[in-house]
Amino acid sequence: MQPGDEPVPLIEVDELEKTFRVARHHQGFFGAFRNLVSREYREVRAVGGITFAIEAGEMVGCIGPNGAGKSTTIKMLTGILVPSAGRVEVFGMVPHRRRTDVARRIGVVFGQRTQLWWDLPLVESLDLLRYIYRVPESRFRENLDQFRALLDLDPFLNTPVRQLSLGQRMRGDLAAALLHDPEIVYLDEPTIGLDVVAKHRIRDFLRRINRERGVTILLTTHDMIDIEQLCSRLLIIDHGKLLYDGGLEKIRGRFGTERTLVVDLAEGEVEDSAPLAVLYAREVRADGPRRWLRFSRDDTTAADLIATVASRYRLRDLSIEEPEIEAIIRRIYEGNW
Amino acid sequence: MIRHAALYARLVGARGRGQMQYRLSFATLVLASVLVTLAEFLVVVVIFGRIPHLAGWSLGEVAVLYGLSAISFAMAEMFAAGFDVFPRQIVQGTFDRVLTRPLGAFFQVLASELALRKIGKVAQGAAILVYAQHSLAVHWSPERLVVLALTVVSGTAIFFSLIVICATSCFWTVQANEAVNVLTNGGTAMISYPLDIYHAWLRRLATFVVPLAFVSYYPALYVLDRADPLGLPAWVGFLSPVAAAAFGFLAWTVWSVGVRHYQGTGS
Amino acid sequence: MSTRLYWEIGKRAFQRQLAYRTANLAGLFTNACFGYLRGSVFIALYQTERSIGGYDVSAAVTFTWVTQALIMVVFLWGWWDVEETIRTGDVVSDLAKPFSYLGFWLARDYGRALYHLLFRCCPILLIGEVMFGLRWPTSPVTWAALALSLTLAVAISFAWRFTLNLTAFWTTDARGIGGLASILSTLLCGLLVPLPYFPDTVRRVVEALPFAGILQIPADVFLERVTGAGLLLALGQQALWAGVMLGATQLLVMAATRRVVVQGG
Repeated sequence: MQPGDEPVPLIEVDELEKTFRVARHHQGFFGAFRNLVSREYREVRAVGGITFAIEAGEMVGCIGPNGAGKSTTIKMLTGILVPSAGRVEVFGMVPHRRRTDVARRIGVVFGQRTQLWWDLPLVESLDLLRYIYRVPESRFRENLDQFRALLDLDPFLNTPVRQLSLGQRMRGDLAAALLHDPEIVYLDEPTIGLDVVAKHRIRDFLRRINRERGVTILLTTHDMIDIEQLCSRLLIIDHGKLLYDGGLEKIRGRFGTERTLVVDLAEGEVEDSAPLAVLYAREVRADGPRRWLRFSRDDTTAADLIATVASRYRLRDLSIEEPEIEAIIRRIYEGNW
Repeated sequence: MIRHAALYARLVGARGRGQMQYRLSFATLVLASVLVTLAEFLVVVVIFGRIPHLAGWSLGEVAVLYGLSAISFAMAEMFAAGFDVFPRQIVQGTFDRVLTRPLGAFFQVLASELALRKIGKVAQGAAILVYAQHSLAVHWSPERLVVLALTVVSGTAIFFSLIVICATSCFWTVQANEAVNVLTNGGTAMISYPLDIYHAWLRRLATFVVPLAFVSYYPALYVLDRADPLGLPAWVGFLSPVAAAAFGFLAWTVWSVGVRHYQGTGS
Repeated sequence: MSTRLYWEIGKRAFQRQLAYRTANLAGLFTNACFGYLRGSVFIALYQTERSIGGYDVSAAVTFTWVTQALIMVVFLWGWWDVEETIRTGDVVSDLAKPFSYLGFWLARDYGRALYHLLFRCCPILLIGEVMFGLRWPTSPVTWAALALSLTLAVAISFAWRFTLNLTAFWTTDARGIGGLASILSTLLCGLLVPLPYFPDTVRRVVEALPFAGILQIPADVFLERVTGAGLLLALGQQALWAGVMLGATQLLVMAATRRVVVQGG
């Protein structure tokens, strides 16, 4: 491969920013008058300089607390919003300038809002979308047949959308977003509010269309299990900044430096309340003879620590707890890793 | 163009099928839309039961104004119904969805609803015109027929544009919606009476800014062979299409600015 | 049950309205525009006549502005608060509460009406005064009578609206039917044209109907068109209708309650 021949990323985001002006509202009856006449604004930076690129075929998860800037980023990628600064290109096009051209080649699922026609049976919504996206009849049939099987749509294909359960509706929405063979699918919280079974089914489906059709997927979620089960790559966004971009395993190595040694002391070894005194570790919890000792990779190895503890106290049992990915991310948000 | 027309029919048809589930409501809504116009016109009849003329206009002549504005407004409401429910799209955030589809936003809002129930009101307006003809016995020269036809089409376009402009204001604030709708509801009420009863500034406003005077007043002056009290020449009655085109262009511009504003600010 | 409770309910309803300031401003603008348009029409009517149906031009213009100002006080259109609770099923718990269901809603409506009296009606009258010059009451007795007349007007309009809302117990199309009915009440309450404008035979009927008590009578009290014995008679007519309609509404509430009990909502 020549140097200039590298694959062009499908999605390229460079120092992307979005700042909203929010009107300050005056209170009181006369305040309402003032709101009409003059408005003061304050600036809110929803996205503050994010850079990343996504290659064709990737499945990327994006997490972050509410208001972190995830949805705003997706809206800029789809062309709904115009960035305040920075560059965004999808298929080499600027989405808001060539909104309809980009729209033809992407699928979008908003977990909170359906794109299906509320009063119509699911199958009619899908049929309408076929005309909106100009999907050839034969291709439409093939896709519909496959989605019916994969998402088990048949039991409610003829039910008006407003009567569907949340899980059924989401399955319908997924089919709707994929009917026109989009190259990229954006999913904004696709599993929100769903039960375990429904989540499982939807993850299964996403994995398959990513693997079998090569659809590039970018999803936002609050559910770490979505990420762990689906994504090879993780973006962590908070306060409009990209805090982490990389693999799931790497994150444990990089941020999860603290592990916990759990020991069960032999009976009568130490008085119940006295904390264990060990170099390079601190007792973070005690429950009778069971003690939790937190230690950092940078200070000592697990083997050394166990040796030290065992030399000083008689132990009945021990184990090492790796940090939960969720706990790591919580600490990343809090800024104290 | 043909593809869009077919898609429009398909989308509107789907919406209609969805609404059919509430058939009882549909019937009552048609009836309501008929009765409102009837009640309002009844008031005119009551007034003319007490006085022979209103600012020199007879009941039949006022009926021409009433009929023309009722027909144009009802037709515009029928086709622009999507823009009427558009504030809800903004509030609920469903307009985002419109922007993720490979179609123009204007087309999608337009195709989101066709208020067929307004047909009752159109018929009502036509009936009022028939009544006017009955009491006035206007001689229908070819020129007058042309003016009448042009007026109904242009009037519909003018009201349609006005509804679009009012809806566009929702990109900035939905709270002032009621005040903005005065332009349409108040506008119809205004042009149902001869414009010379209002202050000069309002007549100028209705001629040069929001050209509602071209929906009924100027064409009626021509058809009824009345001189304009302000001294405008008779051929002004032919200008409705020009006013409609200019105002339509304005509406399209305002809409485009609104969409761009939305893309800048989000909801 | 203590009046204190209803007082508190009314106070809450008043405070709740304070949240809709911008909407109220928009409404003010709307009412003022229609006040101007209708006022202009009435002035044109009197180009050739001195008096129509007993109204001279200044009385007719004042009548227009007073009725515009009162639209929201008596809440002429679009009040579906009760229907909504019936549709959502919340009505069941409301009916089960240990106080009068009718009294609960009436108290709320008075709280709301007071808000609209202060923040809708008064500003509109001031705007009308600035634009057209209105004919204001001259005697303190009129103001007292007006207060009473408005209290009764709200009661009548409330009973009417409440009845339309309650039809939701028996039909799924309460709003459609209510929409039709409100066209009737709009025409017959005097908003579009003073009832004495109607041909004399029709006039006698419509003036006796309860709808006259919603806008026509308060506006006539304001204009001092009814004084002395006539004033007492007008207020008596309002009181009679208010009593009859609230009583009928209470019967309807009882029927609805039975229905809820039998069918379990």
